[in-house]
Amino acid sequence: MAVLNNKKSKVSDEVPTSSMADIAFLLLIFFLVTTTFPKDKGLGVVLPEPGEEAQVSQKNILHLIVQPTGIVDVKRGESTQIQQMRPREIEGLWRQEVSANPNLIAAVKTHPDASYKFMMDVLDALHTANAERISLQVLEN
Amino acid sequence: MSIKGGGFEKSSKASSEVPSSSLADIAFLLLIFFMVTTVFQQDRDRPIEWPEAEAAEKIDEKQKNILNIWMERDGSIFINDQPVPMVDVSQIVAPLYADSERALVISIRGDRDVPYRFMDQVQQELVAAGVVRVVFAAQMEQAMQRERR
Repeated sequence: MAVLNNKKSKVSDEVPTSSMADIAFLLLIFFLVTTTFPKDKGLGVVLPEPGEEAQVSQKNILHLIVQPTGIVDVKRGESTQIQQMRPREIEGLWRQEVSANPNLIAAVKTHPDASYKFMMDVLDALHTANAERISLQVLEN
Repeated sequence: MSIKGGGFEKSSKASSEVPSSSLADIAFLLLIFFMVTTVFQQDRDRPIEWPEAEAAEKIDEKQKNILNIWMERDGSIFINDQPVPMVDVSQIVAPLYADSERALVISIRGDRDVPYRFMDQVQQELVAAGVVRVVFAAQMEQAMQRERR
């Protein structure tokens, strides 16, 4: 070069910002695609159709009576013998009972004053034990 | 100025391309405009304590096919943010259920300390409305927590 003091360089001294928008869009699209909203969770039950009433032989019913204290009285069919249990012990009980009688139906009878959570504990135990035939009732005297 | 090339040169200083450098800026402006002006439907949560369940499963249904029924500790019921008397539940749910062509799933979001008598009444109302699929909404419970209780 003829002029020695010429310091001009071809490299730009600015940060290249032209592709910033593209990067921002890429990030935006990435987060749009990867975002999942939390789904509601719960225990599903199938309610009977109105007027549908099935007659079930007493020997196929396992009565689970939920008391206001959260204690569950377990009564097998016609027998008057009552066994008291905690809700979490029902899972084992159900697996045991259903292997002896595959037609068994769990009749969950909850005391009107008992908290909903105790019924949920029992229902949860039955769901955990893969029980499918569950009847939800309120305890009548 | 003298005319170069005998006046046949057609080159013009105006670019023949659509100026696209500000396209992204315009898109961002639009994006921000819609972000600012969007109003979400106010879906206020009722202050309830969730029951917990280990076997809780995700509700496998589209959001628009889920109807939430909130139930507070004193037995008061809210459907779509409106307080509803217990006896009217079936009358309100039945048309919604018919509109959805029987695809509606009712999610009962009850407080853990609701006395069961109210739960039973709601279930009776839902049976009267012909609803079949009901979910008792619950929080996922870890096995660890269960041991401590």
